[in-house]
Amino acid sequence: MEQQVQEREAEELTLVTRKSCFDQIPYVESGTYVAYNNENDGVIECLKNDGIVDLDSDFHSLPDWVSTKAMISSWLSDAIMYELWVGSDGKSAYEIYYSDLSWPIGKALFLKQVYLVKQRLGITKDNAEQREYEIYKRAKFAYGALSTRLGEQKFLFDDRPSSLDAAFLGHALITLYALPESSVLRSRLLEYDNIVRYAETLKLELIETALSSSGPHFHPVPSSSAPRKGPSSWKSKPKSKSKREKTEEEKTFKKRAKYFLAAQLVAVLLFLSVMGGYDSGDVELDEDDEGFAYD
Amino acid sequence: MDSLLQRMQKGPVSIRVHDVIIKGNTKTKDYIIEAEAEELRSVGSMQELVEASHLVNLKLKALEVFDSVKITLDSGPPELPGTANVIIEVVEAANPLSGQIGAYTKAEARSSTVEGSLKYKNLLGYGDIWDGSLAYGYDHSAEISAGVYFPRFKKFITPVTARAYLQSQDWLKFSSYKERSLGLSLGLFSTRHHDLAYNLAWRTLTDPSQMSSRSVRRQLGHNLLSSLKYTFKFDRRDSSMRPTRGYAFASTTQIGGLVPDSRSLRFLRQDFDLRYAVPLGFYRAALNFGISGGFVFPWGNGFLSRPSYLPERLFLGGNISPLSAFGGPTTLWGFKTRGLGPTEPRRQLNDESAGPSGVDFVGGDLAVTALADLSFDIPIRWFREKGIHAHAFACAGNVSKLTENAYRDFSIKKFAESLRTSVGVGLVIPTNLFRMELNYCYILKKSDEDRAKSGVWITFSGN
Repeated sequence: MEQQVQEREAEELTLVTRKSCFDQIPYVESGTYVAYNNENDGVIECLKNDGIVDLDSDFHSLPDWVSTKAMISSWLSDAIMYELWVGSDGKSAYEIYYSDLSWPIGKALFLKQVYLVKQRLGITKDNAEQREYEIYKRAKFAYGALSTRLGEQKFLFDDRPSSLDAAFLGHALITLYALPESSVLRSRLLEYDNIVRYAETLKLELIETALSSSGPHFHPVPSSSAPRKGPSSWKSKPKSKSKREKTEEEKTFKKRAKYFLAAQLVAVLLFLSVMGGYDSGDVELDEDDEGFAYD
Repeated sequence: MDSLLQRMQKGPVSIRVHDVIIKGNTKTKDYIIEAEAEELRSVGSMQELVEASHLVNLKLKALEVFDSVKITLDSGPPELPGTANVIIEVVEAANPLSGQIGAYTKAEARSSTVEGSLKYKNLLGYGDIWDGSLAYGYDHSAEISAGVYFPRFKKFITPVTARAYLQSQDWLKFSSYKERSLGLSLGLFSTRHHDLAYNLAWRTLTDPSQMSSRSVRRQLGHNLLSSLKYTFKFDRRDSSMRPTRGYAFASTTQIGGLVPDSRSLRFLRQDFDLRYAVPLGFYRAALNFGISGGFVFPWGNGFLSRPSYLPERLFLGGNISPLSAFGGPTTLWGFKTRGLGPTEPRRQLNDESAGPSGVDFVGGDLAVTALADLSFDIPIRWFREKGIHAHAFACAGNVSKLTENAYRDFSIKKFAESLRTSVGVGLVIPTNLFRMELNYCYILKKSDEDRAKSGVWITFSGN
């Protein structure tokens, strides 16, 4: 399990990305407040809705915004998922997610996840090559578009940080630093110098400096001090949380019904056994025959 | 025959066994039956022979694979006087399949379970019993398992069992997690007093409600459990359902992490239980005292600051009678399942309309309970005949955390000051299937967050 801790002056927001298994959902916690990645469209949306941080207030009206967001959360998300689990033979994924688990469990879970990823991306034996070509082609288009969007700026939109920077930075850092050198996706990304520079600069500024310094790193203005990390932008398989809100009446009724049935059963059993008599003299062979026991 | 009986009454009639002849076994291997009949070889007199034959008969019947066992004593070959032949005639079970339903209180479980099982006897001829069973526990636990029991497997002198199981337990209401185990347990050595078992399991903790507290969240996930468990039990009481005299002691030691892989769960857990019953002479009354305790600790690098594994921690509370649960600290009268001990606040939703989320009972690393129970017959004859009696009881207990450096703040004085106590009176109704108690409990001392109530309680404990 690994935690990255970013400290603000008054509040401590901790991002917990659990290494020890892919199906654990990343979350951000602060005291008893928790924002899970599979609720309300992700951690970023949760933090926005709960009024903790919102970097995107001015960007929603931009025409490019929605399409860029859609591209990152579909094409690039698929590409990194493919590359991690199928493309590079899953070596990196195993190292990231299952190296903390005992071998038999880690291996079994890894194989199960590879199968699920293939299912999700629609990869079968027949179309494997064609799907791979498609995924890499789309990724290349996305990188091209983002490179053009970025230009020589520091951030993607209006030279101000936004949640799309968080999302794309996460993807870029994993592709550049976690995938093996032989990875096709990685080599595609390396073709775009400005993206590589963008990733390296922000990595230095946001991650490495924060880790090395002990004091508060961000000034306490809510709109600019969110800990932005890649893994929080990954959407793990959205588990639909359908919590049926039972009304109080239904709950009491069900409880009463359960007790009524239990009381009936107990009454029947009691009748059978008590009325039938109870053998108070237990025939304990062990007590009588010492030699009978396996001593 | 008469002269033989007369001779036997006068004194020992010396005789020895020449041969043991086994008849009627088509499937069962000879050595299985011969092994149970070992006593016969060493008899020196007629009286001993009769006694030994009776014992062998009981032992063979206890294997549960024969429909009937008949032992006949015959005179030995005429050229060897003073010898006898023993003829063991067995009739193997015509119907190898049998089923049973029972209620049990297992030492590890905090509540009673109802178990239904199907048994297939003597599949391989080693006296082996194969079974498949389904168990459902009152504490929302379900288990499906299959196992085999060998009374005498090749060179092993004690019975050997192997069991594969899939178990799930729902602790969402109490500690916001669900536990699922897929495992294999091997009973390596089992005698009346000692029991050694090995357990290999893949355990998964999940939280579908996503409301768990911080330390529970940190423990969710998969784990490999490889542990050895040694139990020593010594029960010299006259009855375990209603002890009136004698004493009993049990100690369970469990070591986890017996694989070279440092990523598997490494912990050490020790439980002990001491009981003492004193008869008082009137109305079959008896005073029962008991004290039990346990602790759990991780081992390995940095063990002092690491947390203990959540499902292996000590939890007190449950709907069984502390008097029946013998093996370790389990519960106090009047306290609900996992109802006392260290707690942690659950996740708080940002929704104003949502009320407080409550707390998770996260268990502790050190637990101690003590009980005192006075049981006596009710002077009405009908109750006495049915075995129904009354009892008055008092108990005390506490759970505390020691891991993650909490042992530095631990002091016996604080532990004793925060002891929970309860007293009460009640009626005990023992039946063939279970022991039922109808009690009125009064909580003398509890912590604010404990789930306990003074009032009428009904508890069920299996045999």
